[in-house]
Amino acid sequence: MSEPEAGESTGMRGQMTHLDADVLAEFRAGLISGRRGTRIAAHLAGCERCTALDEQLAGVCSLLASVPALAMPDSVARRLDTVLAAEVAQRNVAQGNQAERARGDGTGESPAPRRPGGNRGFRQLALRVLAPAAAVVVLAAGGYGLSRINLGSSTGSAASTTAGGAARAAASSVAASAKSAGHANAPAAGPAEGAGPQSRGITPTNFAVVTGQRNLSRANLAQQVRVELLVPASARTTRTPSARLRDCVSKLVGGQSLELVESVDFEGSPATLVVARTGAEDTAWIAAPDCSATYRHVLDTTSLSSGISGP
Amino acid sequence: MPDEGSPADHELLRRHVAGDAEAFGELFRRHRDRLWAVALRTLCDPEEAADALQDAMVSAFRRAADFRGDSAVTTWLHRIVVNASLDRLRRRAARPAVSAGDEQAFEALVAHDGDPARASDTRLDVDAALRLLPPQQRAALVLVDMLGFSVADAAAVLDTSPGTVKSRCARARARLLPHLVHLQGNRSASESVSPAQGGDTP
Repeated sequence: MSEPEAGESTGMRGQMTHLDADVLAEFRAGLISGRRGTRIAAHLAGCERCTALDEQLAGVCSLLASVPALAMPDSVARRLDTVLAAEVAQRNVAQGNQAERARGDGTGESPAPRRPGGNRGFRQLALRVLAPAAAVVVLAAGGYGLSRINLGSSTGSAASTTAGGAARAAASSVAASAKSAGHANAPAAGPAEGAGPQSRGITPTNFAVVTGQRNLSRANLAQQVRVELLVPASARTTRTPSARLRDCVSKLVGGQSLELVESVDFEGSPATLVVARTGAEDTAWIAAPDCSATYRHVLDTTSLSSGISGP
Repeated sequence: MPDEGSPADHELLRRHVAGDAEAFGELFRRHRDRLWAVALRTLCDPEEAADALQDAMVSAFRRAADFRGDSAVTTWLHRIVVNASLDRLRRRAARPAVSAGDEQAFEALVAHDGDPARASDTRLDVDAALRLLPPQQRAALVLVDMLGFSVADAAAVLDTSPGTVKSRCARARARLLPHLVHLQGNRSASESVSPAQGGDTP
C-alpha cells in the first residue's frame, strides 16, 4: 500500500525511495524547495511510513518546547550578585584612582603614558578580560576541579554578602566579606585539599598564583586589595608559582596564614600581591619580581584593618 | 522571544558605561532567568551553567563599552552567554574522562525541581539526548525549539545566517528523533496530542 504513485506534474514516474529523517527534517525546516521539494511533498502525500516519520519529527519539536524551564537556583543568584558587587567595587576603585591621578598631576613617577580621553583604568580592565579567558582554557582539568570545589564555598560566603546597593555599600561590604570570600589559592590538585592539616589548604610553600593582573596603585592600596580578596575563586585563574616566588612568599609571610598570592601590575610594572593574616588583621605586600629568599624586595605594604581605612 | 531592543535596556547599558554603579545589575537581573535557561540547556549541567553565566556576566560588565548598538541588548547578552557556554562545552570535550559528573549533574537538576516525577523524567531524557549533539547544533536547537527564539533572532545570537540555524536545527532534530520517540508515545497517550501536519515551519 505504501507505494507512492506520485502521479502529478513532475512527469517522473514517482518511484521515490523512502525519506530518511535528515531529509524530512530539512524539508520541514523549509530548506528544500524546487523540484526536489515538490517530489518530497508528493511522496509524503502518498506514503504512510514517511508521514509517520514526519509526524514524529514534529513531535520532537513540540516535546522540546514542552520541557519546562528551570528557575535559576537562589545559590546561583546570590553568587552572581556577589561577583557583580566585586566588579562594581573594582571599577569604582579604578575610577577613583584615575580621578586622583588626574587631580594630583605628576607627583610621583607617572607610570604608563596617559591616554587622552580618560577612562583609562576601565579600558585596561576591558582588555584584560581576554587574558583570564585564555588562561582558563590552558588550565583545563585543574581549573575545572577548582570551580567545582568553589561552587559550594562561594555559596556559603555569598550568604554573608547581600549585594543590594552594590556600589554604595561596596567599601563596607568588601571589608565585611573579604575574610570569607577570596580563597582562590587552594592547591590546584584537588585531592591534596582534604589531606593537609591546614583547613585553608594554602600554605606558604603550597599555593597557586592567581593571574589577576589587576592594576594596583600606591594610593588607596588597602581598599584595592580588599576588593581583590572579594573576587570569588571561580572568577580567578591560577598558575604554579616559580621557585623564586615561593621563596619570596615564605620569607614575607613566615608562619602566618596565607590568604592570597596574585600577579598584578603595581604602578604600571609587574609585581606580586601577597596577603596573609597577621594576627587580628591582614597584611598585604607588593613584592618586586626579583624578591627572593635572600632579597626581601617589597615595593609597598599595607595593613588591612577591619574598618574602612582612609587612603 | 527577546524584546526587540527595548530602549530601557540600551539606556541601562549606556548608564553603566557612563559609570552608573547600579545600571548593569538592573539590566542583568532583568534578563538573567532567561540567560540561565540558555546556559543550562546548552550545558546540561547546573554547575557548569553557573560558571558560564558568571563568566558571561563579568565579560559583559567589562566589555559593555564595546556594544555597538547594532543588535538588541538582549541579543548581545545572549550571544555572550552562548559563547561562554560553547567555550565550556569545547573544554569539556577536550577533557578525557567525562561521565563521572553526569549523574551528579542529573541529581542536581532534579534537586532544583519542584515538578512531578514524570516531567523530570522527560527532562532527564531530553538532557541526555541533547548531550549527543555537537555544540553548535545544540545551541541552535536550544534557542529555537526549547526557548522559542525565532530563526532570525537565533541567527543574530549565534552570529550566523538564518539558513545555517535552520539546517543545524534540522540535523539536530533528526539526530534526536530515535532517542526521544518513546517520550512522544507517553505524551500522546496521556495528553492525546495530535501532531499538527507540517505545522511549525513556514
